[in-house]
Amino acid sequence: MQGSTSVSALGARHASGASSSAAAEREPGARKGARAAGGTAGLKRAHYREARLPLLLLLPQLLVLLLFFFIPAIRALAQAFVLTDPFGNSVQFVWFDNFRALLTSPEYQSSVWVTIWFTLAQNAITLAIAMVLAFATDRVVRARGLYRSVILLPYAIAPVIAGILWAFLFNPSVGPIAFLLKGMGIAWDPIRSGFDAFLLVTFAASWKHICYDYIFLVAALLAVPPSLVEAAAVDGAGPLLRFFRIGLPMISPTIFFLLAMNFVYGFFETFAIIDAVTKGGPGGATMILVYKVYLDGFVHIDLGSSAAQSVLMMIFALVLTMVQFRYVERNVNYDV
Amino acid sequence: MMLRRSALAGLMAAAFSAAPALAQQKVEVQFWHALSGVLGERVDEIVKRFNVSQDKYTVVATYKGNYDEVINATIAAYRAKKAPQIVQIYERGFMSMLLSGAIVPVQDLLTEKKKDVDFGDFIKPVASYYQYKGKLMSMPFNSSTPILFYNRAQFEKAGFKEPADTWGELEKQLYTIKQKGAAECGSSLAGDYFWSLMENYSTVNDQPWGTKSNGYDGLDTQFVYNKTRLVGQVTRLQKWVNDGVIQIAGQGLSPEQLFTSGKCATFFASTAAHGGIEKAKDLPWSATYLPHEADLTAHNSSIGGATLWVMKGHRAEEYDGVAAFLAFIASPDLQLWWHKVTGYVPITNKAYQLAKAEGYYKQSPTREIAILQLNRGTPTANSQGFHFGNYTQTTFALREEMESVFANKKTPQQGLDDAVRRGNEILRQFEKLNAGKY
Repeated sequence: MQGSTSVSALGARHASGASSSAAAEREPGARKGARAAGGTAGLKRAHYREARLPLLLLLPQLLVLLLFFFIPAIRALAQAFVLTDPFGNSVQFVWFDNFRALLTSPEYQSSVWVTIWFTLAQNAITLAIAMVLAFATDRVVRARGLYRSVILLPYAIAPVIAGILWAFLFNPSVGPIAFLLKGMGIAWDPIRSGFDAFLLVTFAASWKHICYDYIFLVAALLAVPPSLVEAAAVDGAGPLLRFFRIGLPMISPTIFFLLAMNFVYGFFETFAIIDAVTKGGPGGATMILVYKVYLDGFVHIDLGSSAAQSVLMMIFALVLTMVQFRYVERNVNYDV
Repeated sequence: MMLRRSALAGLMAAAFSAAPALAQQKVEVQFWHALSGVLGERVDEIVKRFNVSQDKYTVVATYKGNYDEVINATIAAYRAKKAPQIVQIYERGFMSMLLSGAIVPVQDLLTEKKKDVDFGDFIKPVASYYQYKGKLMSMPFNSSTPILFYNRAQFEKAGFKEPADTWGELEKQLYTIKQKGAAECGSSLAGDYFWSLMENYSTVNDQPWGTKSNGYDGLDTQFVYNKTRLVGQVTRLQKWVNDGVIQIAGQGLSPEQLFTSGKCATFFASTAAHGGIEKAKDLPWSATYLPHEADLTAHNSSIGGATLWVMKGHRAEEYDGVAAFLAFIASPDLQLWWHKVTGYVPITNKAYQLAKAEGYYKQSPTREIAILQLNRGTPTANSQGFHFGNYTQTTFALREEMESVFANKKTPQQGLDDAVRRGNEILRQFEKLNAGKY
C-alpha cells in the first residue's frame, strides 16, 4: 500500500520533474511562463471537461486518507496539547508543556540521535549490499532465477520472526553466531552493551530490507539499454567501470526512490524488530522514536506525551523528505 | 463442500437459538484477565466452578493479553462505554485505577451487597498494598512475593549447607561457588529484578523508596531511593554483573532456564516460579528467605501480582453477580485450591491455616516461605507497599538507568540519581493531573 502509492507519486514526480526542472535550467527566465503554460495545456483539462468524474475517481483514495491519516493526525495534534488521565475523566489543556518536556528531556534527545544514526546506517548498509547483489546477479547467467528467489526470501519473513531469529542467533549465552564471535575473540554482548545492541538491530533491520531494495535495483538494471553497455564493452570498459559510468547513473532515480523508502522503513517499520530484539534497551541505546511513541502511549499510557512525540516525528519525517527531494534529487538524472 | 457449509449453518443456528434462552435466565458478568497458559486454565476453572455453584449469574472470562494489554483494552473499552464489569490489573496500576474515577471500590460494593467477607483476615502486606483509607479498593487475586531459590547440590559442592541469610555472607558464597566451579554463575538475574532485588530489598531492610510513607500520605511524594542503602545494593549487583557472578539472560532466553538448567546456582524470583522449577528434571533445588543486611532487622517483603477491579457504569443486578463472584474468590476453600495449583500465596490467613492444617507444607515446605516472609512483623511505612502514580512509567525509567549501570556507563549513584530525577518528573505530572483527588 505504502509502496505502491509512493511508486505512483514518484512516477508523477518523474514526469513533471523531468520537464519543468530541465526546462528551467536551460532557460531560467522562461520558468514562470513554462509553468503557466503547463497548467492550462495539461492532459487533465483535455480529458475531463467537468469536475465530477475525476472527483469520484479520487474519492476512494481520499476516503482512505481521511480515515487513516487525516482524522488520526488531527486527533494526535489535539491530544498533544493536553494532559489527560488514561480513562479520559480529567483533561487539562497545557499549551506546549508536552513539547517542552520532550525537548528538554535528555532521554528524548538521545532517542532522536539513535534514530538518526539507525536510519543512516541502515540506509547505507541496505543500499550497498543490495547494489552489490543486484550487480552480481545481473551478470549471472545460469540459475539467475534461483539466486533471486533466495535473496528475496527474507522479505517473506514477518519482522517479529526475523527479530526473534536474530535475537536468538546473537544471544551471548546461547546464540551460535555469538559463540563464533566469542571464539574469534570479540567481546560480544548486546544485552549489556548499548553499542552491540545497536549494531544488532541495525543489521537485523538492514537484512530484512535488502531484498526490497534488491528487487527495485534488479528491475532498474534490466532497463539499462544493453546497446550502451555493449558499446562500452567494445570500447574496452571493464564490468566495474561499466557499472559506475553507465549502470549507476541510469538507475539513479531508483536509488533516490529507495533512499526515501529506506528512511520511511527505518523510521516507522522497524518497530517489530526493535520490539523482538531489544525493546529499546539496554539503557535506551536502541530506543528509536517510533518505539518510544508506542512505549509511552500504549505501555505507560502517557497519551499527551505520546501524541506530542507523534507530531514531532511527523514534522521530522516531513523535513527529512523535503530535504531529500530538494538536495539529493538535484544529482539525480531522470533523462533515461 | 455443500455438506460442510450446511452443517456449519446448522451449528450456527443452534448456537444462536441457544444463546437468548440462556441470557434470559442469567445475568452475564464479563471478566477480563491477563493469565495465559496453565494459569489461564486455572482461571477458567474458577469461573466454571462459580457458574456451576449457582444459577443466577454467568461469569465470562476473557484472556486479553498481558497486563499492559489488559489495562489498555480496559481503557479503550471504558472510553467506548463498553467496559467489562471485572478487570484484572497489576499492582503497579493501583494509583492509576484508584484515581481514574472509573471504578467501584470493592469493599464498599461487597458491604453494600452484604457479602460475608472478613476484610480483617487478609494477609497484611496484601491488604495494605490495596487499601485506601482503610478499605480494600480491589479484590486481591494473584499475589506473590520474591524468595530465593537455590541449587542444593551446587551449594554442597562448594562446601555450604545452604545460602546465608545476610547479603554479605551470601556474596562470599556465590563468589566461592563460581571460583570452585560448582556452578558457572552464582545467580540468574530475573526479568523483574527491580521488584525482587530492589523494591523488596528496600522493604525487607526497611528503607524508604519515596517520601510520604512511600506515597501513602500524599501525591506530593518524591523518590528517595538514591539516598538509602539501595545504593550499596546496586553497587553490589553491578559488581556481580561485572564479575559474571550474576548472569543476565536477555531477550530470547528465560532467566529461569539459566537456573533450572543448572548453569546458575541461585535465582531470586517470585514464589509463583515454583510451577516451572518443580517441573525441571533432576534439579536438586530448594528455597529460602530473601537475605537482609547484617546490621538491619529483616522486615516483611512486599507483594506483586494483580487484583480484580470493578468498573463503574453497570446495572445493579450485574453488580449482584460481581459481588457474588468476588466473595466466591475470597472464600478460604477456593484460595487454598488456588494457592496449591498456582504457587501464588493464599491471600487470607484462614486459607493459610487450612493449608497448614491439612499438612500441605509438610510435603512442600518451600511453598510456605513466601507467606512466612510476608507475615514477618508488622508492615512499616517503608514495607507496607508502594503507592506511586504512573508507577509502570517510573519503574521503566529505573530499569533503563539500571541497564546503563550494568553496562558500566553510569555509576550506581549516577544511575539511581537519574532514575529518581526522571521518576519525580513523572510523579509531578501525576500530581498535577490528580490534584485534590487523593
